[in-house]
Amino acid sequence: MEIKKLLPPAIILLLFLGSWHIGALIYNMAFILPTPLVVAQTFVADFDIIMTGLVLTFEAAFTGYIIAVVMGIAVATVMSLSNILEKSLYPYAILLQTVPVVAVAPLIVLWFGFEMKSIIIISIIISLFPIINNTLLGLKSTSKTLVELFEYHKTSKLQTFFKLRFPAAIPNIIAGMKISAGLSVIGAIVGEFIIGSGSEEGGLGVQIIYAQADLETALVMALILTATSLGFIFFITIQTLGWYLMHKWHESEMKRK
Amino acid sequence: MIAISGVSKHFDEVQALAEVNLDIATGEFISIVGPSGCGKSTLLRIVADLVSTSGTVTKPNKGAFVFQDSALLPWLTVQNNVELLMKLEGLPNIKEKTCIALEQVGLTGFEKNYPHQLSGGMKMRLSLARSLILDPEYILLDEPLSAVDELTREVLQEELHEMWNRDKFTAVLVTHNIAEAVYLSNRVIVMSPRPGKITHIIDVPFKKRTPELRTTSKFSKLVNDISGKLRTWR
Repeated sequence: MEIKKLLPPAIILLLFLGSWHIGALIYNMAFILPTPLVVAQTFVADFDIIMTGLVLTFEAAFTGYIIAVVMGIAVATVMSLSNILEKSLYPYAILLQTVPVVAVAPLIVLWFGFEMKSIIIISIIISLFPIINNTLLGLKSTSKTLVELFEYHKTSKLQTFFKLRFPAAIPNIIAGMKISAGLSVIGAIVGEFIIGSGSEEGGLGVQIIYAQADLETALVMALILTATSLGFIFFITIQTLGWYLMHKWHESEMKRK
Repeated sequence: MIAISGVSKHFDEVQALAEVNLDIATGEFISIVGPSGCGKSTLLRIVADLVSTSGTVTKPNKGAFVFQDSALLPWLTVQNNVELLMKLEGLPNIKEKTCIALEQVGLTGFEKNYPHQLSGGMKMRLSLARSLILDPEYILLDEPLSAVDELTREVLQEELHEMWNRDKFTAVLVTHNIAEAVYLSNRVIVMSPRPGKITHIIDVPFKKRTPELRTTSKFSKLVNDISGKLRTWR
Protein backbone atom coordinates (compact mmCIF):
# COMPACT_ATOMS: atom_id res chain seq x y z
CA MET A 1 0.00 0.00 0.00
CA GLU A 2 2.66 2.52 1.10
CA ILE A 3 5.04 1.39 -1.66
CA LYS A 4 2.29 1.75 -4.24
CA LYS A 5 1.73 5.33 -3.11
CA LEU A 6 5.43 6.23 -3.15
CA LEU A 7 6.26 4.61 -6.47
CA PRO A 8 4.83 7.19 -8.95
CA PRO A 9 6.62 10.24 -7.44
CA ALA A 10 9.79 8.14 -7.02
CA ILE A 11 9.79 7.31 -10.73
CA ILE A 12 9.41 11.01 -11.60
CA LEU A 13 12.34 11.82 -9.29
CA LEU A 14 14.56 9.19 -10.90
CA LEU A 15 13.65 10.40 -14.40
CA PHE A 16 14.42 13.98 -13.36
CA LEU A 17 17.78 13.11 -11.75
CA GLY A 18 18.69 10.90 -14.69
CA SER A 19 18.04 13.53 -17.36
CA TRP A 20 19.78 16.18 -15.24
CA HIS A 21 22.82 13.94 -14.89
CA ILE A 22 22.97 13.13 -18.60
CA GLY A 23 22.33 16.78 -19.52
CA ALA A 24 25.11 17.97 -17.21
CA LEU A 25 27.54 15.42 -18.65
CA ILE A 26 26.75 16.52 -22.21
CA TYR A 27 26.93 20.23 -21.33
CA ASN A 28 30.13 19.54 -19.43
CA MET A 29 30.55 22.85 -17.55
CA ALA A 30 30.43 21.97 -13.86
CA PHE A 31 30.50 25.58 -12.64
CA ILE A 32 27.27 26.27 -14.53
CA LEU A 33 25.50 22.91 -14.28
CA PRO A 34 27.05 20.36 -11.92
CA THR A 35 25.72 16.79 -11.96
CA PRO A 36 23.38 15.73 -9.14
CA LEU A 37 26.21 13.52 -7.87
CA VAL A 38 28.50 16.54 -7.42
CA VAL A 39 25.69 18.41 -5.62
CA ALA A 40 25.30 15.44 -3.28
CA GLN A 41 29.04 15.37 -2.64
CA THR A 42 29.03 19.10 -1.92
CA PHE A 43 26.17 18.57 0.48
CA VAL A 44 28.34 16.17 2.47
CA ALA A 45 31.55 18.21 2.15
CA ASP A 46 29.95 21.55 3.13
CA PHE A 47 27.55 20.02 5.63
CA ASP A 48 28.67 22.42 8.39
CA ILE A 49 28.04 25.57 6.34
CA ILE A 50 24.67 24.28 5.19
CA MET A 51 23.60 23.32 8.70
CA THR A 52 24.62 26.68 10.17
CA GLY A 53 22.61 28.36 7.43
CA LEU A 54 19.68 26.04 7.94
CA VAL A 55 19.48 26.71 11.67
CA LEU A 56 19.51 30.50 11.16
CA THR A 57 16.94 30.40 8.36
CA PHE A 58 14.76 28.01 10.33
CA GLU A 59 14.88 30.35 13.33
CA ALA A 60 13.83 33.37 11.26
CA ALA A 61 11.20 31.58 9.18
CA PHE A 62 9.70 29.73 12.14
CA THR A 63 9.50 32.85 14.31
CA GLY A 64 8.01 34.80 11.41
CA TYR A 65 5.54 32.04 10.68
CA ILE A 66 4.31 31.70 14.25
CA ILE A 67 3.89 35.47 14.58
CA ALA A 68 2.07 35.59 11.23
CA VAL A 69 -0.30 32.79 12.29
CA VAL A 70 -1.11 34.42 15.63
CA MET A 71 -1.43 37.91 14.14
CA GLY A 72 -3.38 36.65 11.12
CA ILE A 73 -5.94 34.80 13.23
CA ALA A 74 -6.22 37.75 15.62
CA VAL A 75 -6.72 40.31 12.83
CA ALA A 76 -9.25 38.08 11.06
CA THR A 77 -11.12 37.56 14.34
CA VAL A 78 -11.34 41.32 14.92
CA MET A 79 -12.53 41.81 11.33
CA SER A 80 -15.15 39.08 11.67
CA LEU A 81 -16.60 40.67 14.80
CA SER A 82 -17.24 44.07 13.28
CA ASN A 83 -18.35 45.04 9.80
CA ILE A 84 -16.83 48.50 10.08
CA LEU A 85 -13.45 47.15 11.15
CA GLU A 86 -13.50 44.62 8.32
CA LYS A 87 -14.29 47.30 5.76
CA SER A 88 -11.61 49.61 7.10
CA LEU A 89 -8.87 47.00 7.51
CA TYR A 90 -9.36 44.61 4.61
CA PRO A 91 -8.01 46.88 1.82
CA TYR A 92 -4.74 47.19 3.75
CA ALA A 93 -4.57 43.44 4.21
CA ILE A 94 -4.77 43.17 0.42
CA LEU A 95 -1.93 45.70 0.08
CA LEU A 96 0.12 43.41 2.30
CA GLN A 97 -0.32 40.79 -0.38
CA THR A 98 0.25 43.02 -3.42
CA VAL A 99 3.29 44.90 -2.13
CA PRO A 100 6.41 43.59 -3.92
CA VAL A 101 8.20 42.16 -0.92
CA VAL A 102 11.56 42.03 -2.69
CA ALA A 103 11.37 45.78 -3.27
CA VAL A 104 10.25 46.61 0.26
CA ALA A 105 12.86 44.39 1.88
CA PRO A 106 15.74 46.92 1.56
CA LEU A 107 13.54 49.50 3.29
CA ILE A 108 12.83 47.08 6.14
CA VAL A 109 16.55 46.42 6.53
CA LEU A 110 17.18 50.17 6.53
CA TRP A 111 14.68 50.64 9.33
CA PHE A 112 15.36 47.60 11.47
CA GLY A 113 19.02 46.96 10.76
CA PHE A 114 21.10 44.11 9.38
CA GLU A 115 19.65 41.73 11.91
CA MET A 116 17.43 38.70 12.16
CA LYS A 117 14.66 41.07 13.27
CA SER A 118 14.42 42.41 9.70
CA ILE A 119 14.37 38.92 8.22
CA ILE A 120 11.55 37.91 10.56
CA ILE A 121 9.54 41.01 9.64
CA ILE A 122 9.89 40.29 5.91
CA SER A 123 8.82 36.70 6.54
CA ILE A 124 5.76 37.94 8.46
CA ILE A 125 4.75 40.36 5.71
CA ILE A 126 4.75 37.64 3.08
CA SER A 127 2.99 35.01 5.25
CA LEU A 128 0.29 37.14 6.82
CA PHE A 129 -2.30 37.65 4.10
CA PRO A 130 -3.22 34.01 3.34
CA ILE A 131 -3.84 33.45 7.05
CA ILE A 132 -6.01 36.57 7.42
CA ASN A 133 -7.95 35.88 4.25
CA ASN A 134 -8.67 32.20 4.89
CA THR A 135 -9.44 32.65 8.57
CA LEU A 136 -11.82 35.49 7.78
CA LEU A 137 -13.55 33.39 5.13
CA GLY A 138 -13.93 30.54 7.64
CA LEU A 139 -15.18 32.75 10.46
CA LYS A 140 -17.74 34.39 8.19
CA SER A 141 -19.15 31.23 6.62
CA THR A 142 -20.49 29.57 9.74
CA SER A 143 -23.71 27.69 8.91
CA LYS A 144 -26.65 30.06 9.35
CA THR A 145 -28.71 27.37 11.06
CA LEU A 146 -26.01 26.74 13.66
CA VAL A 147 -25.74 30.47 14.32
CA GLU A 148 -29.52 30.56 14.82
CA LEU A 149 -29.30 27.59 17.20
CA PHE A 150 -26.79 29.44 19.36
CA GLU A 151 -28.74 32.68 19.08
CA TYR A 152 -31.93 30.93 20.16
CA HIS A 153 -30.20 29.73 23.32
CA LYS A 154 -28.97 33.28 24.02
CA THR A 155 -25.32 32.27 23.89
CA SER A 156 -22.83 35.09 24.46
CA LYS A 157 -20.74 36.36 21.54
CA LEU A 158 -17.60 35.01 23.18
CA GLN A 159 -19.05 31.54 23.72
CA THR A 160 -20.46 31.47 20.19
CA PHE A 161 -16.99 32.32 18.93
CA PHE A 162 -15.14 29.60 20.81
CA LYS A 163 -17.77 26.86 20.57
CA LEU A 164 -19.00 27.53 17.06
CA ARG A 165 -17.32 30.05 14.77
CA PHE A 166 -13.72 29.16 15.53
CA PRO A 167 -13.99 25.36 15.34
CA ALA A 168 -16.07 25.71 12.16
CA ALA A 169 -13.28 27.84 10.65
CA ILE A 170 -10.49 25.34 11.38
CA PRO A 171 -10.48 23.82 7.85
CA ASN A 172 -10.00 27.32 6.38
CA ILE A 173 -7.39 28.29 8.96
CA ILE A 174 -5.39 25.17 8.16
CA ALA A 175 -5.70 25.92 4.43
CA GLY A 176 -4.26 29.40 5.00
CA MET A 177 -1.52 28.02 7.23
CA LYS A 178 -0.52 25.55 4.51
CA ILE A 179 -0.09 28.33 1.94
CA SER A 180 1.92 30.45 4.38
CA ALA A 181 4.16 27.56 5.46
CA GLY A 182 6.21 27.72 2.27
CA LEU A 183 5.91 31.51 2.00
CA SER A 184 7.49 32.07 5.42
CA VAL A 185 10.68 30.31 4.25
CA ILE A 186 10.65 32.30 1.00
CA GLY A 187 10.29 35.50 3.04
CA ALA A 188 13.25 34.56 5.23
CA ILE A 189 15.44 33.82 2.18
CA VAL A 190 14.44 37.15 0.56
CA GLY A 191 15.36 38.93 3.79
CA GLU A 192 18.71 37.14 3.92
CA PHE A 193 19.42 38.09 0.30
CA ILE A 194 19.14 41.77 1.17
CA ILE A 195 21.11 41.43 4.37
CA GLY A 196 23.62 39.11 2.69
CA SER A 197 26.44 41.54 2.03
CA GLY A 198 26.18 43.07 5.47
CA SER A 199 26.77 40.06 7.70
CA GLU A 200 29.56 37.56 8.20
CA GLU A 201 27.60 34.50 9.17
CA GLY A 202 24.13 34.07 7.84
CA GLY A 203 21.23 31.86 6.89
CA LEU A 204 20.74 29.90 3.68
CA GLY A 205 19.99 33.06 1.66
CA VAL A 206 23.25 34.68 2.76
CA GLN A 207 25.20 31.51 1.96
CA ILE A 208 23.60 31.35 -1.50
CA ILE A 209 24.81 34.90 -2.27
CA TYR A 210 28.36 34.01 -1.16
CA ALA A 211 28.45 30.69 -2.99
CA GLN A 212 27.16 32.32 -6.17
CA ALA A 213 29.82 35.03 -5.97
CA ASP A 214 32.44 32.30 -5.69
CA LEU A 215 30.90 30.42 -8.63
CA GLU A 216 30.32 27.42 -6.36
CA THR A 217 27.24 26.37 -8.27
CA ALA A 218 27.00 22.95 -6.65
CA LEU A 219 26.86 24.61 -3.22
CA VAL A 220 24.21 27.08 -4.44
CA MET A 221 22.11 24.12 -5.54
CA ALA A 222 22.65 22.23 -2.32
CA LEU A 223 21.55 25.33 -0.37
CA ILE A 224 18.48 25.80 -2.56
CA LEU A 225 17.53 22.16 -2.00
CA THR A 226 17.93 22.64 1.74
CA ALA A 227 15.72 25.75 1.74
CA THR A 228 13.11 23.94 -0.36
CA SER A 229 13.11 21.00 2.03
CA LEU A 230 12.67 23.37 4.98
CA GLY A 231 9.50 24.83 3.43
CA PHE A 232 8.35 21.31 2.60
CA ILE A 233 8.79 20.20 6.23
CA PHE A 234 6.81 23.25 7.41
CA PHE A 235 4.05 22.26 5.01
CA ILE A 236 4.01 18.60 6.03
CA THR A 237 3.86 19.59 9.70
CA ILE A 238 0.75 21.71 9.10
CA GLN A 239 -0.70 18.99 6.88
CA THR A 240 -0.31 16.54 9.76
CA LEU A 241 -1.79 19.01 12.23
CA GLY A 242 -4.76 19.42 9.89
CA TRP A 243 -5.22 15.69 9.63
CA TYR A 244 -5.06 15.33 13.41
CA LEU A 245 -7.69 18.03 13.93
CA MET A 246 -10.08 17.05 11.15
CA HIS A 247 -9.81 13.41 10.08
CA LYS A 248 -12.77 12.40 12.23
CA TRP A 249 -15.26 14.92 10.88
CA HIS A 250 -14.16 16.96 7.87
CA GLU A 251 -14.62 15.77 4.29
CA SER A 252 -11.15 16.88 3.21
CA GLU A 253 -9.37 14.60 5.68
CA MET A 254 -11.67 11.59 5.81
CA LYS A 255 -10.57 8.33 4.24
CA ARG A 256 -12.09 7.67 0.86
CA LYS A 257 -13.59 4.27 0.49
CA MET B 1 -49.46 28.87 26.68
CA ILE B 2 -48.02 30.67 23.68
CA ALA B 3 -49.82 33.84 22.68
CA ILE B 4 -49.14 35.48 19.34
CA SER B 5 -50.87 38.81 18.86
CA GLY B 6 -50.69 41.41 16.14
CA VAL B 7 -47.58 39.88 14.61
CA SER B 8 -46.61 41.52 11.31
CA LYS B 9 -43.35 41.49 9.43
CA HIS B 10 -41.90 43.54 6.60
CA PHE B 11 -38.68 42.68 4.82
CA ASP B 12 -37.84 46.02 3.18
CA GLU B 13 -40.82 46.67 0.88
CA VAL B 14 -42.22 43.13 1.01
CA GLN B 15 -44.84 42.32 3.61
CA ALA B 16 -44.19 38.77 4.81
CA LEU B 17 -46.76 38.54 7.60
CA ALA B 18 -49.92 40.53 8.19
CA GLU B 19 -51.49 40.77 11.63
CA VAL B 20 -51.22 37.17 12.84
CA ASN B 21 -53.08 36.32 16.05
CA LEU B 22 -52.96 32.86 17.57
CA ASP B 23 -53.25 31.33 21.01
CA ILE B 24 -51.69 27.94 21.58
CA ALA B 25 -52.78 26.09 24.72
CA THR B 26 -50.26 24.50 27.06
CA GLY B 27 -49.56 20.95 25.93
CA GLU B 28 -51.19 21.48 22.57
CA PHE B 29 -49.62 20.28 19.32
CA ILE B 30 -50.30 22.61 16.40
CA SER B 31 -49.04 22.56 12.83
CA ILE B 32 -48.73 25.44 10.43
CA VAL B 33 -49.16 24.65 6.74
CA GLY B 34 -49.20 26.95 3.75
CA PRO B 35 -47.71 27.54 0.32
CA SER B 36 -43.98 28.21 0.00
CA GLY B 37 -43.11 31.75 0.98
CA CYS B 38 -46.22 32.29 3.09
CA GLY B 39 -44.04 33.28 6.04
CA LYS B 40 -44.67 30.23 8.21
CA SER B 41 -40.97 29.79 8.90
CA THR B 42 -40.70 33.50 9.63
CA LEU B 43 -43.61 33.23 12.06
CA LEU B 44 -41.84 30.38 13.86
CA ARG B 45 -38.66 32.47 14.04
CA ILE B 46 -40.61 35.40 15.45
CA VAL B 47 -41.95 33.12 18.19
CA ALA B 48 -38.36 31.98 18.78
CA ASP B 49 -37.22 35.60 19.04
CA LEU B 50 -34.81 35.08 16.14
CA VAL B 51 -36.67 37.63 14.00
CA SER B 52 -38.06 40.93 15.24
CA THR B 53 -41.70 41.93 14.95
CA SER B 54 -44.04 44.83 15.63
CA GLY B 55 -46.44 42.49 17.46
CA THR B 56 -46.05 40.64 20.71
CA VAL B 57 -45.35 37.03 21.60
CA THR B 58 -45.61 35.60 25.09
CA LYS B 59 -44.31 32.14 25.77
CA PRO B 60 -42.93 29.96 28.57
CA ASN B 61 -39.28 30.34 29.56
CA LYS B 62 -37.88 26.98 28.67
CA GLY B 63 -38.01 26.09 25.01
CA ALA B 64 -36.20 24.36 22.20
CA PHE B 65 -35.92 24.89 18.45
CA VAL B 66 -35.53 21.95 16.09
CA PHE B 67 -34.12 22.89 12.68
CA GLN B 68 -34.76 21.50 9.23
CA ASP B 69 -31.30 20.04 8.70
CA SER B 70 -30.88 18.75 12.28
CA ALA B 71 -28.20 21.42 12.95
CA LEU B 72 -25.57 19.17 14.52
CA LEU B 73 -21.98 20.31 15.02
CA PRO B 74 -19.94 18.09 12.68
CA TRP B 75 -16.77 18.20 14.82
CA LEU B 76 -18.55 16.96 17.95
CA THR B 77 -19.33 13.34 18.74
CA VAL B 78 -22.91 12.17 19.23
CA GLN B 79 -22.37 12.40 23.00
CA ASN B 80 -21.02 15.96 22.82
CA ASN B 81 -23.77 17.05 20.45
CA VAL B 82 -26.45 15.90 22.88
CA GLU B 83 -24.65 17.65 25.74
CA LEU B 84 -24.13 20.87 23.78
CA LEU B 85 -27.35 22.73 24.58
CA MET B 86 -27.25 21.70 28.24
CA LYS B 87 -23.74 23.10 28.47
CA LEU B 88 -24.75 26.32 26.72
CA GLU B 89 -27.64 26.71 29.15
CA GLY B 90 -25.49 25.68 32.10
CA LEU B 91 -27.82 22.91 33.27
CA PRO B 92 -26.92 20.20 35.85
CA ASN B 93 -26.77 16.37 35.61
CA ILE B 94 -25.49 16.40 32.07
CA LYS B 95 -23.94 12.90 31.95
CA GLU B 96 -26.92 11.16 33.50
CA LYS B 97 -29.51 12.86 31.33
CA THR B 98 -27.49 12.34 28.15
CA CYS B 99 -27.42 8.63 28.81
CA ILE B 100 -31.20 8.49 29.21
CA ALA B 101 -31.84 10.76 26.22
CA LEU B 102 -29.68 8.65 23.92
CA GLU B 103 -31.43 5.50 25.04
CA GLN B 104 -34.85 7.03 24.39
CA VAL B 105 -33.98 7.67 20.74
CA GLY B 106 -32.15 4.38 20.24
CA LEU B 107 -28.68 5.89 19.86
CA THR B 108 -27.00 4.08 22.76
CA GLY B 109 -23.71 2.67 21.47
CA PHE B 110 -23.21 5.55 19.02
CA GLU B 111 -21.83 7.98 21.64
CA LYS B 112 -18.38 8.15 20.07
CA ASN B 113 -19.58 8.40 16.47
CA TYR B 114 -19.66 11.63 14.49
CA PRO B 115 -22.77 13.04 12.77
CA HIS B 116 -21.50 12.17 9.27
CA GLN B 117 -21.56 8.51 10.27
CA LEU B 118 -25.31 8.63 11.01
CA SER B 119 -28.27 8.25 8.66
CA GLY B 120 -30.69 11.14 8.12
CA GLY B 121 -33.19 9.60 10.51
CA MET B 122 -30.60 9.08 13.23
CA LYS B 123 -29.41 12.67 12.87
CA MET B 124 -32.94 13.93 13.41
CA ARG B 125 -33.40 11.64 16.44
CA LEU B 126 -30.19 13.08 17.81
CA SER B 127 -31.45 16.60 17.19
CA LEU B 128 -34.73 15.78 18.98
CA ALA B 129 -32.87 14.14 21.88
CA ARG B 130 -30.69 17.22 22.24
CA SER B 131 -33.83 19.37 22.59
CA LEU B 132 -35.87 17.04 24.82
CA ILE B 133 -33.01 16.75 27.29
CA LEU B 134 -33.62 20.41 28.20
CA ASP B 135 -37.09 19.49 29.56
CA PRO B 136 -38.63 22.23 27.42
CA GLU B 137 -42.10 23.57 28.05
CA TYR B 138 -42.48 24.17 24.32
CA ILE B 139 -40.72 23.01 21.15
CA LEU B 140 -40.66 24.82 17.82
CA LEU B 141 -40.09 22.53 14.84
CA ASP B 142 -39.13 23.95 11.45
CA GLU B 143 -39.83 21.24 8.85
CA PRO B 144 -37.76 18.78 10.86
CA LEU B 145 -38.58 15.71 8.77
CA SER B 146 -38.25 17.15 5.27
CA ALA B 147 -34.77 15.70 4.69
CA VAL B 148 -35.58 12.03 5.35
CA ASP B 149 -37.15 9.42 3.10
CA GLU B 150 -40.89 8.71 3.18
CA LEU B 151 -40.65 5.50 5.25
CA THR B 152 -38.34 6.96 7.89
CA ARG B 153 -40.53 10.02 7.93
CA GLU B 154 -43.61 8.09 9.08
CA VAL B 155 -41.59 6.24 11.72
CA LEU B 156 -40.20 9.53 13.01
CA GLN B 157 -43.70 11.03 13.09
CA GLU B 158 -44.77 8.18 15.35
CA GLU B 159 -41.73 8.68 17.55
CA LEU B 160 -42.33 12.40 17.74
CA HIS B 161 -45.93 11.73 18.72
CA GLU B 162 -44.77 9.41 21.51
CA MET B 163 -42.30 12.00 22.77
CA TRP B 164 -45.06 14.58 22.89
CA ASN B 165 -47.40 12.14 24.65
CA ARG B 166 -44.74 11.30 27.21
CA ASP B 167 -43.22 14.72 27.90
CA LYS B 168 -46.32 16.91 27.48
CA PHE B 169 -44.61 19.88 25.86
CA THR B 170 -46.38 22.43 23.69
CA ALA B 171 -45.38 21.93 20.07
CA VAL B 172 -45.49 24.20 17.04
CA LEU B 173 -44.63 22.40 13.80
CA VAL B 174 -44.08 24.05 10.44
CA THR B 175 -44.46 21.54 7.61
CA HIS B 176 -45.25 21.11 3.93
CA ASN B 177 -46.67 17.67 4.53
CA ILE B 178 -50.38 17.84 5.31
CA ALA B 179 -50.71 14.19 6.35
CA GLU B 180 -47.88 14.80 8.83
CA ALA B 181 -49.67 17.88 10.20
CA VAL B 182 -52.94 15.96 10.59
CA TYR B 183 -51.29 12.91 12.14
CA LEU B 184 -49.47 14.91 14.81
CA SER B 185 -51.64 17.88 15.64
CA ASN B 186 -54.61 18.95 17.71
CA ARG B 187 -55.10 21.83 15.33
CA VAL B 188 -53.83 22.61 11.84
CA ILE B 189 -53.31 26.27 10.94
CA VAL B 190 -53.58 27.14 7.24
CA MET B 191 -51.83 30.26 6.02
CA SER B 192 -52.28 32.26 2.80
CA PRO B 193 -49.48 33.34 0.45
CA ARG B 194 -47.62 36.60 1.00
CA PRO B 195 -48.55 38.57 2.96
CA GLY B 196 -49.04 35.54 5.20
CA LYS B 197 -52.11 35.45 7.37
CA ILE B 198 -54.15 32.72 9.02
CA THR B 199 -57.08 31.71 6.81
CA HIS B 200 -58.30 28.49 8.44
CA ILE B 201 -57.91 26.78 11.78
CA ILE B 202 -58.89 23.14 11.56
CA ASP B 203 -59.52 20.96 14.61
CA VAL B 204 -58.24 17.42 14.27
CA PRO B 205 -60.76 15.17 16.03
CA PHE B 206 -58.82 11.87 16.19
CA LYS B 207 -58.21 10.55 19.69
CA LYS B 208 -55.65 7.83 19.04
CA ARG B 209 -52.69 8.42 16.77
CA THR B 210 -51.55 5.00 15.58
CA PRO B 211 -50.13 3.99 12.17
CA GLU B 212 -53.54 2.45 11.36
CA LEU B 213 -55.09 5.93 11.49
CA ARG B 214 -53.36 6.81 8.24
CA THR B 215 -55.32 4.14 6.37
CA THR B 216 -58.77 5.25 7.55
CA SER B 217 -61.09 7.19 5.25
CA LYS B 218 -61.71 9.89 7.90
CA PHE B 219 -57.98 10.60 7.94
CA SER B 220 -57.63 10.87 4.17
CA LYS B 221 -60.78 12.96 3.93
CA LEU B 222 -59.38 15.53 6.38
CA VAL B 223 -56.03 15.57 4.57
CA ASN B 224 -57.86 16.12 1.25
CA ASP B 225 -59.99 18.90 2.75
CA ILE B 226 -56.93 20.78 3.88
CA SER B 227 -55.15 20.16 0.58
CA GLY B 228 -58.22 21.59 -1.15
CA LYS B 229 -58.00 24.75 0.93
CA LEU B 230 -54.33 25.11 0.00
CA ARG B 231 -54.98 24.43 -3.67
CA THR B 232 -57.11 27.56 -3.99
CA TRP B 233 -53.92 29.63 -3.76
CA ARG B 234 -52.20 27.96 -6.69
